[in-house]
Amino acid sequence: MAHAAPHAKVLPADLSAPSFVKGWRARALVVAVLFAVTAVVLATLDHSAEHIYRAWVLGLMLTFGFSVGGLALLMVQYVSGGKWGLLLRRPLEAMSRTLPLVFAYWVVAGLWMKHLYLWAAVTDTASALKSGLINETEAHAIDWKRPMLQPSAFWITGIVCFAIWAFYAWRLNGMSMRREADSPSNTPYWIKKLENISGFGIVVYSLTMTAAVIYWVMSMDVTWYSSVYGLLFLVGQGYQVLALAILTSISLSKADPYKTILRQTEQYDLGKFTFAFVMLNIYLAFSQFLIIWSGNMPEEIVWYMNRFNGHWAVIATLDFMFHWLIPFSLLLSKDLKKNKKRLMRVAQWMIFAKAFDLFWLIEPNYKDAAQNLHFSWGILEYIAVPVAMVSLWVAYYAWELTRRPLVQTNDPHLAEILEPEHAHA
Amino acid sequence: MAVPREGIYGLVAEFETPTELVIAARAAYDSGWRRLDCYTPYPVEEAAEVIGFHKNRVSLVTLIGGLMGLCAMFSLETWISTLAYPLNIAGRPTYSWPAFIIPAYEWTILFAGLSAAFGMLALNGLPSLYHPLFNAPNFRSGATQDKFFLCLEATDPKFDPAESKAFLEGFRPNSVVEVEY
Repeated sequence: MAHAAPHAKVLPADLSAPSFVKGWRARALVVAVLFAVTAVVLATLDHSAEHIYRAWVLGLMLTFGFSVGGLALLMVQYVSGGKWGLLLRRPLEAMSRTLPLVFAYWVVAGLWMKHLYLWAAVTDTASALKSGLINETEAHAIDWKRPMLQPSAFWITGIVCFAIWAFYAWRLNGMSMRREADSPSNTPYWIKKLENISGFGIVVYSLTMTAAVIYWVMSMDVTWYSSVYGLLFLVGQGYQVLALAILTSISLSKADPYKTILRQTEQYDLGKFTFAFVMLNIYLAFSQFLIIWSGNMPEEIVWYMNRFNGHWAVIATLDFMFHWLIPFSLLLSKDLKKNKKRLMRVAQWMIFAKAFDLFWLIEPNYKDAAQNLHFSWGILEYIAVPVAMVSLWVAYYAWELTRRPLVQTNDPHLAEILEPEHAHA
Repeated sequence: MAVPREGIYGLVAEFETPTELVIAARAAYDSGWRRLDCYTPYPVEEAAEVIGFHKNRVSLVTLIGGLMGLCAMFSLETWISTLAYPLNIAGRPTYSWPAFIIPAYEWTILFAGLSAAFGMLALNGLPSLYHPLFNAPNFRSGATQDKFFLCLEATDPKFDPAESKAFLEGFRPNSVVEVEY
């Protein structure tokens, strides 16, 4: 405010990531190796690698969510503006630059296609039906969806999607640097330009990510479909990316430059933003359930029966509590959103909850697990493999964080973010 | 709080800028004043902050309202569907809770919203038909337009008509006016 006494803080001269970010990288790499070894041990105990493949998709979806979801939120902040956008810009850029690792994860998942997707495993439906490998509904679905659900379509769609995401990540990251090097008088031009690219980019992102999740997760069950599926994952990405962004900003705020720029006001705003995603997430998940439950149609309801019957209801109930009830109740509190330590705990919890939700979505797609929750050494792969994959991703992300100054200086919001903040009555 | 209904309500100082108001309010609070208030044409958060006003109970009222809405609608639906008017809908049990969620959710929002609005008014002491400050001749137009007021109230133990007036005048306000009940 204009009338406030000018006690504005001064941005430190060194805007690079503090040295402890290198420590994150080292720690993440150690965790990745430990859990990768655990995954191999578990596979030997289980005498099967089947669960490695499935858990791999969980890890893929998590890291994909961070990377491409980070790109999407980067575009959202360019379109919406706001001080939170300036605060998160560099971390979000770093997330978007981790796309090569996600691509590598995806290629590996693609190579395991025959283990993961029934439509890839079964080439001749008639003989598979005769041998009892699939039932009639599945045979029908595989035959009819063949133009889409076949290996070449999987590869082409995936590569096109990754090319589009890479293009946007490259454009936005590159232009952000050119804007920084340009004179401040050109900033309005850059703001408009980035906004225009991002606006269209958000539309393209929603379409491509919907295609991706349909291939990678929904098609694990060939018979089932849901028109809200893409949106559900889209909101889920917002959920996990905001959690990670909060985690990153608060962790970085132990030292400059985030110590100077992270104000309680923006932290509180991020908390509220996250709360909105927690709400929207359950809204969509519950809508999908309510519609399918009301219709009670044989071609749709099986998907839920696979996920409720045979003790899966325990996981579903926990999922509801972990994913919605706990973060929702905690984030209601104004004091919690202003408390760095507690907000960080909630953000960590939310990332765990996201992984838990993906477990409930993925595992019951397979015949041995559908309507039959049971213990095997293999089920523990759902902990080992994603932890290893996400840790490796975190190491990459931490490295990307160190590659750029953490604050954009050619931004009109910078002066505001350095102003003293006011207590909210 | 025992409010005397006659005599002096307090002393009100008129300032030209919010900065002057905040400086005076901070000094008053720091020297031990507790029954004091700021009046401004638009929210000045620093002013609220310096006179020690940090929290209010609107969020608690909203939460309680929301929970009441949730319980009320969910119970109503349960009562209608299981006891008052049980219907066989596609062979489902009469207590089909998934179908109850949406109206219960809507009532949560409705009750929470209404509680926030009316709770805020109630906690503000509104509607109020009379406030002594409007007896100050310069208050009515100033506080709604471009002047910033600090009122030291007579109920504060530190209040002394002459001494407090001198205290306020030390901040060079436009005027210091004694307000009658």
